[in-house]
Amino acid sequence: MFYLLGVKTMRQRGQLIFYGLFIFSMIMSIVFVYQNHNLYSRPIAQIISANQEDSKQVTDEYGNTDEKYTQSLTAELKNGKHAGKQIDLTNEYSFSGAYDNAFTSGDEVFVKLDENKSDSGDFAGDITGVKRDKYVMIMAWVFTLALVLVGKMQGLFTTVSLAFNIILLSFALDLYVKLGMNLIWISILLVILFTIVSLLLVNGWNEKSFAAIIATLLGTFVSVGVVYVVMLLTSEEGLLYEEMQFLTRPYTLVFLGGLLIGSLGAVMDVAISISAALFELYETNKQISMKALTASGYDIGKDIMGTMTNILLFAYISGSIPILIVYFNNHSPLGFSLSINLSLEIARALAGGIGIVLTIPIGLYVTIFFIQRKKAKQ
Amino acid sequence: MNVPIILSVILFLLMLVIGRGKGVRSFLSLFLNFIVMLLIIVLMTNVEYNPIILTMIACILVSCINLFFINEVNQKTVTAFIATMITTGILLVFIYYITKVAMIQGFGEEEIDEIVSVYSIEVGVDFLKLATAVIILSTVAAIVDVSISITSPMAEIYKHHPEITRKELFKSGVTIGKDILGSNANTLFFAFIGGYLALLLWFKDLSYSFSQIVNSKIFASEMMMIFFAGIGIALVIPIAAFINAYYLTKSKKETDSRVQ
Repeated sequence: MFYLLGVKTMRQRGQLIFYGLFIFSMIMSIVFVYQNHNLYSRPIAQIISANQEDSKQVTDEYGNTDEKYTQSLTAELKNGKHAGKQIDLTNEYSFSGAYDNAFTSGDEVFVKLDENKSDSGDFAGDITGVKRDKYVMIMAWVFTLALVLVGKMQGLFTTVSLAFNIILLSFALDLYVKLGMNLIWISILLVILFTIVSLLLVNGWNEKSFAAIIATLLGTFVSVGVVYVVMLLTSEEGLLYEEMQFLTRPYTLVFLGGLLIGSLGAVMDVAISISAALFELYETNKQISMKALTASGYDIGKDIMGTMTNILLFAYISGSIPILIVYFNNHSPLGFSLSINLSLEIARALAGGIGIVLTIPIGLYVTIFFIQRKKAKQ
Repeated sequence: MNVPIILSVILFLLMLVIGRGKGVRSFLSLFLNFIVMLLIIVLMTNVEYNPIILTMIACILVSCINLFFINEVNQKTVTAFIATMITTGILLVFIYYITKVAMIQGFGEEEIDEIVSVYSIEVGVDFLKLATAVIILSTVAAIVDVSISITSPMAEIYKHHPEITRKELFKSGVTIGKDILGSNANTLFFAFIGGYLALLLWFKDLSYSFSQIVNSKIFASEMMMIFFAGIGIALVIPIAAFINAYYLTKSKKETDSRVQ
């Protein structure tokens, strides 16, 4: 009795320490990003006052009207040898704000310093960017907090696996850029690592996870293979790579690499849903027939394939909204605007959908194979 | 022949073979959702319409398609719909505020030259509101998915254990949500990463420093998209579980009193 009580308080103490550490690191890291100016070599200035000088209406050749404003800003340098000194800045911005911003006092910006002092005795300079690190940090914590509060341990593992995957990705891209390794092989390797890490971390070391891992890999590779064959047969007609124009790398490879990684999450979701459900069915009724398992597997698959493909569709297409608005308001023809800006996104969503649907039978048979192996062992 | 068309045909055939009637409906829903998106984008070009209002209309239409068209109108889908609306409403305010202070709307310096060399970007549409629309629309389908994945098994639990209390029902809803939280966050995370692989590569090509990457508009907005996706999915879990638990146990009391 006392022993149990002790365990309980130990566990509570552990939880308390965990939450304490959590909140402590949260506060410390946020304080840090608000005070890290000296770590930057680029000069940073904080706006003290902003005055709107004038505004004018502009109309482009297609009759779009916009309001343009000029504001004169006074800011204080936060780092470098001139820290504490004042700087005068001029900022032009538009109402639409596609590539500019209105600044108000308190905003922090990166500046290019002009060493010559202006008439008022302050430094002059140009704004080169906005300091966004603090917002990224705050949102990263809100995200972690939301996931941990709702998902407890699973939420924490999800955050950890996301962070790990980002580091892995960055490392892999370094391999590609610096060592010139083949992007497809790197993507395949990444897919394998991402799958193993994500599924094991979230679902644990068990046969359910093993079946899902194999099904995910098969589903992803088969579906991207299908897309690749289609691309070969049509010599990639209808895929416009304009949005990758800035890249000095083979577009097709980058697109295929993106396909491998992009549909992975959805395919994983389908694979684990099917393997988890079938194992659950088998555990509750060890006598269940393989035919019944197959039927339930297909039922589960049917239920999720539509929504999963829709999730991918929205995740891919939404990002193109701003550029499409620019094209449309510049009177670009509808078909042209859509194919230039959406052909890759639509192809990604469709490829992901193919991956999702193919993973249903693949996941089903892989899981049944694992169940039969387990049955034979017992 | 053209790649997207052939891929559509393959997807349609696969959905038909594996999903039969439901597969055809799933494919149709994809098509309908695409039409809704296009319609909303075309309406957004008009400066008279508020992009946020249009986004809310889009969310309503998309939820209707994904809930009432793929499934049907019943207690489960109706509560999932309400939960989705509440969640996206809360998120909208939050996203608008963060987008504003972090100034992540519009285009990054890495892509702007390509655009302004041909097009005028001063088109009078508020890009801050567009950025909010982008983030919310990229996640809305996932939010719908999570809420229906919670309300539907909760209704089953209630059917098999009608004596369950509201609090217990809420708790089991959150437990179901916990299990799907990770995989749904992953789905969106990998989709975003896959879609932006080209830009990430470009950062590496330009040998950006860590601080340059973190402060760049494109990276910051991409991270915000991932963060808000996770927050949205996490937020809808207690909301859907609460509304559904309330609704289910409320109807029980009514039937009880009617029996008496």
